[in-house]
Amino acid sequence: MTAYRVAVGEREVALPAGWELTWLDREAGIARLARSDEAHVVVVDGSGTDWHVTIGGRRIPVSVRTHREQLLAEAEVAARQHGGPIDVRASLPGLVVALGAAEGEEVEEGQPLVTIEAMKMQNEVRAPHAGRVAHVAVAAGQTVATGALLLRLE
Amino acid sequence: MSVRKDIRKVLVANRGEIAIRVMRACRELGIRSVAVYSEADADAPHVESADEAQHIGPRSATESYLSIPNLLEAARASGADAVHPGYGFLSENAGFAEAVEAAGLTWIGPPPATQRALGNKLAARRAVVEAGVPVVPGLMVPLQDGDAPDLSHIGLPAMLKAAAGGGGRGMRRIDAAEELPAALAAARREALSAFADGTVYVERLVSPARHVEVQLLGDRHGNLAILGERDCSVQRRHQKLVEESPSPAVTPAIREALYDSARRVAGTVDFHNAATAEFLLDAEGNHYFLEMNTRLQVEHGVTELVTGLDLVAWQIRIAQGERLPAEVLEPALRGNAVEVRLYAEDPWDGFRPQAGRVTAWRAPAGPGVRIDAAVRPGMELVPDYDPLLAKLMVHAADRPAMVARLRRALDETQIGGVQTDLGFHRWLAEQPSFVSGAYDTGLVAVAWGDGPPLSEDLAAAAATAAAEARAAAPAPRPTAPAAAGASAWAVTARSEALRR
Repeated sequence: MTAYRVAVGEREVALPAGWELTWLDREAGIARLARSDEAHVVVVDGSGTDWHVTIGGRRIPVSVRTHREQLLAEAEVAARQHGGPIDVRASLPGLVVALGAAEGEEVEEGQPLVTIEAMKMQNEVRAPHAGRVAHVAVAAGQTVATGALLLRLE
Repeated sequence: MSVRKDIRKVLVANRGEIAIRVMRACRELGIRSVAVYSEADADAPHVESADEAQHIGPRSATESYLSIPNLLEAARASGADAVHPGYGFLSENAGFAEAVEAAGLTWIGPPPATQRALGNKLAARRAVVEAGVPVVPGLMVPLQDGDAPDLSHIGLPAMLKAAAGGGGRGMRRIDAAEELPAALAAARREALSAFADGTVYVERLVSPARHVEVQLLGDRHGNLAILGERDCSVQRRHQKLVEESPSPAVTPAIREALYDSARRVAGTVDFHNAATAEFLLDAEGNHYFLEMNTRLQVEHGVTELVTGLDLVAWQIRIAQGERLPAEVLEPALRGNAVEVRLYAEDPWDGFRPQAGRVTAWRAPAGPGVRIDAAVRPGMELVPDYDPLLAKLMVHAADRPAMVARLRRALDETQIGGVQTDLGFHRWLAEQPSFVSGAYDTGLVAVAWGDGPPLSEDLAAAAATAAAEARAAAPAPRPTAPAAAGASAWAVTARSEALRR
């Protein structure tokens, strides 16, 4: 197991000793995770580097990377921090009901950029940092899928 | 309308768990059921629960589950002689009920005139005041943009509400008089977009309060049954998450007063079939009428558990003209029951609806457990419909046993692939205020907030499970011979995992 760098969210986690994982239903990803004094039934979904583990009803994002994958991920983060353009994508599928910024406009960090309506709720996609809107890829009234490009920030 | 009709085939104008619930009642009564489905729902669980199915349009609800012409055409094509609307969608749309009756079909629900009379909250408020039912102090007239009414005799904080409202939309809290103009404009805008009616009124905010509702069942011969109350105080966004019966806050004296008010509300209209009178209960035990829901409620199962009655079957039998017998008119209420709603929502992110694919689903079982669900592994959740996946209900002899059974049933429940509110319910079942029964509508906002932070222990356990899962996963099929250096990590991980 030492071959993997494991992170929960952004936080790297040292794998504790003593846990034993027994699959109850491999296909569904249901397993029993136990150590001497406690046990959980967990549900695992994902593949490659991106996994989610549901424990006690909480679905926890976990990245499991090889050394090489870790280096690649770090390089990506570094590129982003050096002010490269950022693609703002839809975090959930839904209907674009409003745009909060036009092409060429300067925006503040946290400013609502796009409002997406999903399951009768309006969700605001906000600017991850201040910048200029280089390109708007969607229009109000359009349906978008998860991960769809909404706009590009410079 | 009092002539007895024998319903042979029911079109269920809904989807998800409630469609399945209605179909089950039909089957037990020997009545055929017809499912309707949008393009996104061709393989949905409710379709296979029916005897036959009709396609009613594209994924968009407006053009399918909310399309009166498409639903009527499905009824005609299938030869259905009755329509059950479930809850949500068109269930409280008097125009739909009228269209169903005009097409010569039996409407399984309260009469359209009743729905019309009580559908508007402000109109209902005026009607019940005349019948002697207490309402929350407030203005009895709609507010227009720019209105600056004197709120001093109502008291602050106050609440703006949409007259055509429901589901918490078109509501705004006002803590200071100067907030009124902006809040009013926002509430009117939201109400107009959600209900195509921007009528908004104002009443005092009752806080702390409990949300308690009374289940009514009436036949076409003037008999009215009152089937206990439900406490629905665990809410987010003014929408219910948990319902229990009886209410821990309701004493025999309060119950009598609630029943009396519920009877008076029903008496303001020509009522039959199933409906629910909703009230707020303040800390002193005073109740105030909120609204009447002229349809089956999501949480009807809780009442079914404590009364032993099948409310959906009774809806159908009432629609056929049957009389309510003594065991319905004077039901024996047994034990305590609770329902928790399993939503695809992230309670750690403001209960935001989630989309995605369900990868695993294990339902609890055993004594006193009931699951009404429409979920299965591989199912894609689309953002167009309500994110309710399942309702978990438990019934036990008393409230402590009910709480213990709820914890046990939640422990047995597993959902994978999407974040749900299962973790919230597990937290709730351990909360002292819930366990003692002394909670109010502020519980979620105050005690849960954004939820407890992820503990180091749980994070480490999750990390372990994910690392093991990756190590045990079949290697992705290589498209080209893998470089020796790249695969070495995986090989090491795998052999290490096997050695443990």
